[in-house]
Amino acid sequence: MRYSTSGYLLSETGKSIWRNKMSSFLSCATTALSLFLLGVAFLININLRLMFTVVQSQMEIQAYLRADATLDQAASVVQAVKKIPGVSDVKYVSKAEALEELKAMFQDKASVLEGLGEDNPLPASVRVKTAAAEDVPRVAAEIKKIPTVDDVIYQEEASRRLMSLGRASQLVSLGGMLVVGLVAIMVIGNSIRLTIDSRRHEIAIMKLVGATDGLIVGPFLMEGVVLGVLGGLFGAGMVVGLYTWVVGGLESALPFIPVARLNMDTAGRMLGIMLTTGVAVGVVGSVTSLRRHLDV
Amino acid sequence: MITLRGVTKQYGTGLLALQDVNLEVKKGEFVFVVGPSGAGKSTLIKLLYREEVPTRGQVIVGGKDLCKMGRREVPFLRRRIGVVFQDYRLLPDRTVGENVAFALMVTGYGGRDLQKSVSQVLSMVGLRDRQNAYPSELSGGEQQRVALARALVRNPDLLLADEPSGNLDPQTSLEIFKLIERANMYGTTVVVATHARQIVDSMRKRVVELKKGVIVRDARRGAYDY
Repeated sequence: MRYSTSGYLLSETGKSIWRNKMSSFLSCATTALSLFLLGVAFLININLRLMFTVVQSQMEIQAYLRADATLDQAASVVQAVKKIPGVSDVKYVSKAEALEELKAMFQDKASVLEGLGEDNPLPASVRVKTAAAEDVPRVAAEIKKIPTVDDVIYQEEASRRLMSLGRASQLVSLGGMLVVGLVAIMVIGNSIRLTIDSRRHEIAIMKLVGATDGLIVGPFLMEGVVLGVLGGLFGAGMVVGLYTWVVGGLESALPFIPVARLNMDTAGRMLGIMLTTGVAVGVVGSVTSLRRHLDV
Repeated sequence: MITLRGVTKQYGTGLLALQDVNLEVKKGEFVFVVGPSGAGKSTLIKLLYREEVPTRGQVIVGGKDLCKMGRREVPFLRRRIGVVFQDYRLLPDRTVGENVAFALMVTGYGGRDLQKSVSQVLSMVGLRDRQNAYPSELSGGEQQRVALARALVRNPDLLLADEPSGNLDPQTSLEIFKLIERANMYGTTVVVATHARQIVDSMRKRVVELKKGVIVRDARRGAYDY
């Protein structure tokens, strides 16, 4: 049997978790489950954002040039469009390229187009992408002002809907994350409170023999941190496992749906959020419930 | 060592536990506090280790006015006082050795010295070979001896006991009181609240009798009754 004050905090924490195996396990499991939900909400949020950006990047403005536009004029249109704020990509499509695309679209039914002969009725055009979907109407209006541009086409309704849908979904998923986070905090806080309540007797005895508040709080706090971290790690493990499984299934069943890859960056951010919440709740929960028992 | 001046304690419930109590206990004294249940004995003990503060009056222990003492100073007061209760109050999930060691550890004591002190005090109460047992594996008398060891391991200036033999048979009670008396011989001031009539009568120490919160008798070499 050895006693020492130097290792007091760590050994007390370990012993205390071991002595209260059942309640430690329950706290840890509660934390893991709550944080698991938080992680799920986080990934849903990430995916909605990704889906929105992908669809957004597919929104395109087509500016048809006048039939008599020369190559020089086309080049100056491209230059002018590039200068419009919010434009992310400009691509010139010549008359010949437009015809090739059309043929490619019809593929085996290319014979339909044979009637056109040498005469290519398709106009040259400039395809413009914007950084954000909400910029589409404004950019389109600017392009229309360029003299060489005959007509501007974009999916007005679609871009407007996409915009509002994007905002709404992001708000909803952020709100969901907030709610889940709050629930996690309450659940974890409560389980810590119960743990400490069940040990008020022990705390009273410690005070009786002259333990300072710090000495009493230390191990409890450390325990909260350790259980928070453990819960966070388990929760993250569950999220990663579930996500990998779901994504694997989704990618083979619905390959066209964009899914966020769980790369180091995303996983790191998620783990960060989960661990921070876990530890913060562990600390705050322990301190607030201890204060009631420490009052002389 | 202890001075009580005009001490009145009224609890939030309205219960008047002590009324204008004046008491002086010198260093090294041994005092029995006797009286029927509800006379205020426990309250008197609680005032001495600042579990409670008086409604009116002054409580001075070891030169310190406990009423003026800040919350942060209380642990340091308690490190100089050993307290023993009827219900032992041991940490149930720690061994005998750990329970005793805890009292030393909170004072920042550690290492080899700590082990030595723990072993010594456990030998004194005759429990050296039970160091690794848990409180639930011990008899009531043994548990009380552990509690006493915990109280004495720091060589306290003052030992307080509230019905230390309340749950024990006469023979075991006597052993406990012998240990308390021994601590007193080494210089520790002792205040014991008790109902153990035979022991009080046989030990012939100073007896302070409380009735309804008032000191009705203070005899130098007294007995349980007049």
